[in-house]
Amino acid sequence: MKLERRKEWWIDRARREGDAVVGAGLVARDPAPESRSLAAGEETRIAFGRFVHLMRRRQGYSMEQLAERADLEPSELLVIEDDVHYVPGPRTVYKLAETFEVPQQRLMQLAGLAAANDAGLAREAVRFAARSESIEKLTAEESAALEVFVAVLSEWDPKRMK
Amino acid sequence: MAEVSLIYLVDGATGEAVEAELRDAIKAAQLVDWQTKWQPALITVLQELDRRGVPVGQWPQSWHWDWRKKTAAVQGLLAFRGFCVVAAGVTQGLAQVDLTKGAREAGQVGKPLVYVDYLEVAPWNRPDLGQQLRFRGVGTALLSAVVALSEAEGFKGRIGLHSLPQADRFYRDRCGMTDLGPDAAYQGLRYFEMTPDQAQAFLKEEE
Repeated sequence: MKLERRKEWWIDRARREGDAVVGAGLVARDPAPESRSLAAGEETRIAFGRFVHLMRRRQGYSMEQLAERADLEPSELLVIEDDVHYVPGPRTVYKLAETFEVPQQRLMQLAGLAAANDAGLAREAVRFAARSESIEKLTAEESAALEVFVAVLSEWDPKRMK
Repeated sequence: MAEVSLIYLVDGATGEAVEAELRDAIKAAQLVDWQTKWQPALITVLQELDRRGVPVGQWPQSWHWDWRKKTAAVQGLLAFRGFCVVAAGVTQGLAQVDLTKGAREAGQVGKPLVYVDYLEVAPWNRPDLGQQLRFRGVGTALLSAVVALSEAEGFKGRIGLHSLPQADRFYRDRCGMTDLGPDAAYQGLRYFEMTPDQAQAFLKEEE
């Protein structure tokens, strides 16, 4: 369908729109309302759970295999990946950092066990979480997001493990 | 293959006219823009509000981090008839329509209309987020396409939509649509319709 109008018509209409907001339909709403706001640390823990999930899949582990490799309980991995309220213990995070070969301190901050001394990590964590989805196969975008995030974790740790 | 119409938007910073494309289809490229550009832009706004200590109740709408539902809905757009506006190589607005619904307005009850299932402009084109607008006119262009489609389909310009709360005034005052009030079946969003007379005025206005 072709729409033909004079240039002036479009410009006039755009100017008339001014500062009005235009949107329609339930899908156009901002992500669904929820009764509570995010508690402190939940933003980064979402990224922590997503990070563990994607790294596990990228390395081809089932939850049980990762549990065995990292010497952790499969049930704990399940809640780490699915529940933002769950705060894992230091040993768990240490084992995961070791298995995934990423800096331990940064992963501790991501998991909410240590305070990050800059806003950058939280920003990158949220960006990463929003760009990745839990689907069967890693998409090219997810892989790219994961690569970038691993690089960010590594860059900011002076005692990088890799 | 999408049909492309040349349209013009207004640059929010300079006020200058900017060439854009109105396409009568939504393709994968639009979904990629939504995922990789729109979504991070919304997140940036959220973080800024958070940083400024603005209470959640005062944010544009209630936000949280479950993007999955919205992402799934947007990814489903490929299956429906829709429009998009592209400028500067990036998707600036999206609309999806349904041609199977009937009118509710007293004088038009049951007559066919084009129902706007979804209409959204990119976050950088939204004045309610407190940022410098990138482009003006994206929403109007999409709505113009919907009205033109209604005419082309023989529906005489009749359209219907459930407005976002912050858009009610635009449809009522600037588009001259009939406000049929809140719809309990749509989380209380107000339902608006454009009659054939209103459509004629909408398309011809200021010509």
